[in-house]
Amino acid sequence: MSVEVEVDQSDLAEMVEQVWESYLDPEGVSPLIQTYDEDQPSEVHSSVSITGSWSGYVLYASSRSAAQRAAAAFLAMELEEVSEEDISDTLGELANIVGGQVKAMLPPGAQLSLPQVVLAPEASARFPNTQRMSGVYGLWEGEPVSISMWQSSSENKEEGA
Amino acid sequence: MKILIADDSRVMRQIVVRTLRQAGFGDHDLIEAADGKEAYEKALEEKPDLVISDWNMPHMTGIEVLRQLRAAGNNVKFGFVTSESTPEMKTAADGAGSAFFIVKPFTAERFDEVFAPILG
Repeated sequence: MSVEVEVDQSDLAEMVEQVWESYLDPEGVSPLIQTYDEDQPSEVHSSVSITGSWSGYVLYASSRSAAQRAAAAFLAMELEEVSEEDISDTLGELANIVGGQVKAMLPPGAQLSLPQVVLAPEASARFPNTQRMSGVYGLWEGEPVSISMWQSSSENKEEGA
Repeated sequence: MKILIADDSRVMRQIVVRTLRQAGFGDHDLIEAADGKEAYEKALEEKPDLVISDWNMPHMTGIEVLRQLRAAGNNVKFGFVTSESTPEMKTAADGAGSAFFIVKPFTAERFDEVFAPILG
């Protein structure tokens, strides 16, 4: 099944902004400053897959320091108190929240997977037969953070393929 | 008042707790459940005044918890905080007797708007 996806770059940017406003920067003092650099480095990443009316992945990637800062914000902890498990859980939740927002904009019949977290650079991730369709790339307190959407290319095959 | 927070994500339970505090509801007795079955059991055993539940949870989903509570004659105030939201989910929630439906990401202002009338 193939559908026109209604989630574009500005939608994704708005979702990401909501996550910052709600959880990561409620006081509005340290927003994500967009760099538009899809090749910016990362040290950790998380993803959820979406299947059904649209198939692909939502990927969250950042430096370890940005993930630690996100965990401290999510869990109301000091930076130095943040454990590896806190970072993993936070990264999983970030992928889940953005994935849930993306799913809400898709036609009915899409399923969201449980998040997968890898404490390794995004560049180590492989999503076979997918292509990047949009992304928000920025710096948060000087640390790289990327959120991108990857569409399964089976969506693009000709009818009957 | 006693508030039961049901979510399989430890991070999200913590965010809900933090947001309740930010919205001025931190003085209430906050208890947690890590899946739907635990939420159902704690809702009966601990007799909370309010249940704030995720939708997708292992063992029992949030809507199953709500339906089973109502089927057991339990009328605790119950609502959802969820990252997924479709018109079908909202209709199902309303039909089962849900008091509110909050979509993630949420703010302390949103919590205040929803919970002030309930918690006073």
